[in-house]
Amino acid sequence: MSSRIEILNDGGYRSDGRRQYELRSIDIDMSPQGTADGCAVVSHGLTQVQVCVFGPREARKRAETLHDRAVLNVEVGVLPFSAGERRRRGRADRRILELAASIKSTFEPVIQTSLYPRSQIDIFVSVLAQDGGLLQACINATSVALASAGIALGDLVCAVSGGVHGTFPLLDLSALEEGDLPNVTVAITPRSGKVTLVTLETRLHVDRFGEVFARACEAGRVIHTEMRRAVRARTSKLVDAMGAGTKGTGEEDVERDVLMSEINDF
Amino acid sequence: MPRPPSPSIPEKEFLYGSLKQSLRLDGRNPLEMRTPTLTFGPDLGWVECAMGKTRVIAQVEGKMVKPPPERPLEGLITIHSELSPMASSEYESIRPSEEEVTITRMLDKVLRRSDVVDKESLCVLSGQRVWHLRLTIHCLADAGNMLDCACLAGVVALKHFRRPEVEVVGEEHDPSERAPLPLSMHHTPFCFTFAYFPDPTILPVLDPSHLEQRLSAGLMSVALNAQRELCVVQKAGGMPLDQQEVLRIVDVAVGKAKELDKLVETRLKEDWAGRTVEVR
Amino acid sequence: MTLVLPGEQVPAQHVNLKLGPGLLQLSSANGDSAIVATRAGDLNHSANRSKWWIESNSRRYVPAPQESVIGMVIARSGDNWRVDIGSAHMATLDGLAFEGATRRNRPNLKVGSLLYARVSLAHKDMEPELECFDAQTHKAEGFGELKGGFVVHCSLKMCRLLLDPKFFLLPLLGARFPLETATGLNGRVWINAKEARHIIAVSRCIEAVDPDGGSMDEAGIKKFLGTLDI
Repeated sequence: MSSRIEILNDGGYRSDGRRQYELRSIDIDMSPQGTADGCAVVSHGLTQVQVCVFGPREARKRAETLHDRAVLNVEVGVLPFSAGERRRRGRADRRILELAASIKSTFEPVIQTSLYPRSQIDIFVSVLAQDGGLLQACINATSVALASAGIALGDLVCAVSGGVHGTFPLLDLSALEEGDLPNVTVAITPRSGKVTLVTLETRLHVDRFGEVFARACEAGRVIHTEMRRAVRARTSKLVDAMGAGTKGTGEEDVERDVLMSEINDF
Repeated sequence: MPRPPSPSIPEKEFLYGSLKQSLRLDGRNPLEMRTPTLTFGPDLGWVECAMGKTRVIAQVEGKMVKPPPERPLEGLITIHSELSPMASSEYESIRPSEEEVTITRMLDKVLRRSDVVDKESLCVLSGQRVWHLRLTIHCLADAGNMLDCACLAGVVALKHFRRPEVEVVGEEHDPSERAPLPLSMHHTPFCFTFAYFPDPTILPVLDPSHLEQRLSAGLMSVALNAQRELCVVQKAGGMPLDQQEVLRIVDVAVGKAKELDKLVETRLKEDWAGRTVEVR
Repeated sequence: MTLVLPGEQVPAQHVNLKLGPGLLQLSSANGDSAIVATRAGDLNHSANRSKWWIESNSRRYVPAPQESVIGMVIARSGDNWRVDIGSAHMATLDGLAFEGATRRNRPNLKVGSLLYARVSLAHKDMEPELECFDAQTHKAEGFGELKGGFVVHCSLKMCRLLLDPKFFLLPLLGARFPLETATGLNGRVWINAKEARHIIAVSRCIEAVDPDGGSMDEAGIKKFLGTLDI
């Protein structure tokens, strides 16, 4: 199938008007939904993913608990209206199971599971709209949801997708670009700069891979800045709400708490 | 099925201790693969790959079908792989376990999505008759690293298979008197899996055995061909690694791909020399 | 001796006949009883023909009383420990079944530790029970927790061979470097030596000599040891 739309034209612009290394607009919404302990809705351009976190809570099956750690349970649901044409994907679809398994193994070393033995942490991912970069959106949304649930994390995990067009690396691919180009998704822990997840499909030369890999790791830090901003905004809103509740001596505590959140560089 | 008990404390400590000294339990070097043993069956396209005690059988069959209307010029390839509890009691027959999903998806990515076989060459009569290749993979025994074994078996089976040459005579097609043709393949991918451990001073090991896989902090699989082209890189979670480490592992895999390619070619030539194809 | 298959009749006759593993007494329709083999293997009998048994190999352990086994602790239920010995059921080990253990002073085991224990109760309708001391003397006699080292899985025949003092393997290895082993009859052997490469060498030799996977003889092992780095 020939692509009638140019991926990258001579002026350096992509099909949706972005430059080569420009990321789509990111929107992170951490307002509470339902009874979930933590919830986040993250959009990368038109791709929108919602994640609800429950836990740590009593495990449903005693036989599956570990005596010294919490068990992570990830379930992914892709809504039928999320893609261009309406399709119902069953729970046991291999692609979806693989997505769930990737998310689970990405967060298992990051969540401090040894603090919650014999319990279960449930992560429910719903894909609301798909326009490329699904795995990156799921991972970013899960990070933020876990932070909003107050579960102990070693670090946030930030993910970026990328691809190579000819010899030019591109970042944050939309669905149109994903179909044509080899695409890479990289997830990093921003504090240490280490890589927790790398996936590549379709053929790509080793040297090209090295370039796009390096760029994606840098872009992960940009996403981290956005996440920090959103989590900070929400935390300070919560702190204000707590401060408004108590009177008198509560005021000095609020002052101190706000100062602490500015000093802590996380 | 309750999950199997994790390895005992002495086994864990001994494995980490000896890996720190770069000693592996079966006497291999850290970056040494078990040499694969390829056995070819009487049919063309049947191959058994054994790496140590891990054994996988792959078989390719072809039949002619009508292509779907949206792609009238391409053949079809389907990969069918099931991990039965025969391979290991950890694999259930009802719900696919996580490892089974990983293996099935990786096989799909390595053998189908990376365009191993030239699909347009499978077209006989556009819009009406194309070849439908069915690759079936049976995992017989799991002694660690079944993924690499399955990928190798699949790729070698595709290289070994010969399809009958057909000629379009008017509206009919007859298998002609010529020798069967090999499939036209774009490239030959090989998969290499590395296991790394919680202690950062232990370097990743290639082709983990069963115990090493269970005690690892994560696996990273790299599939590439001998022409330095990566087909699949899969590090799905597990302990975080440095950027340099990831690139170093890719480099090691590049070297191993060349060696494995030579080995596979030699074995295929040996087997082909031993066969006499009947031409009626 | 002779090779028998399951279902074959065995000419075992004695006043005080004792049947060992692999033999069963079946009574047929007309009232006679016959001794029938239930496993495939070598038919053996003792010198005075009172004890008959079949030598065969298998990998799955079926607990029998008074046998020493190596188990791994998998859970704690109250005062007892649940131990995995590789049989159909998990075994129970009383927390006080150690030498010198009182209510105040109990050994502190963790999930995942290895034990060398003796099967005290092995009835086909109940879960097997273990003890970590000798039956008569109530002293440890080598039973208890195994610290360090490594455990190797092998077939049951291999364990029986290793326990035979006339078998060549352990004395041959012990002559090269100091080594301590604990052999369980459930297909597990615990090895400890000073250096990791010695332990690896012993484990590879056991796998090579195992009747299931190679069954090398003494000459083969000597050559094999030459290739290893000891």
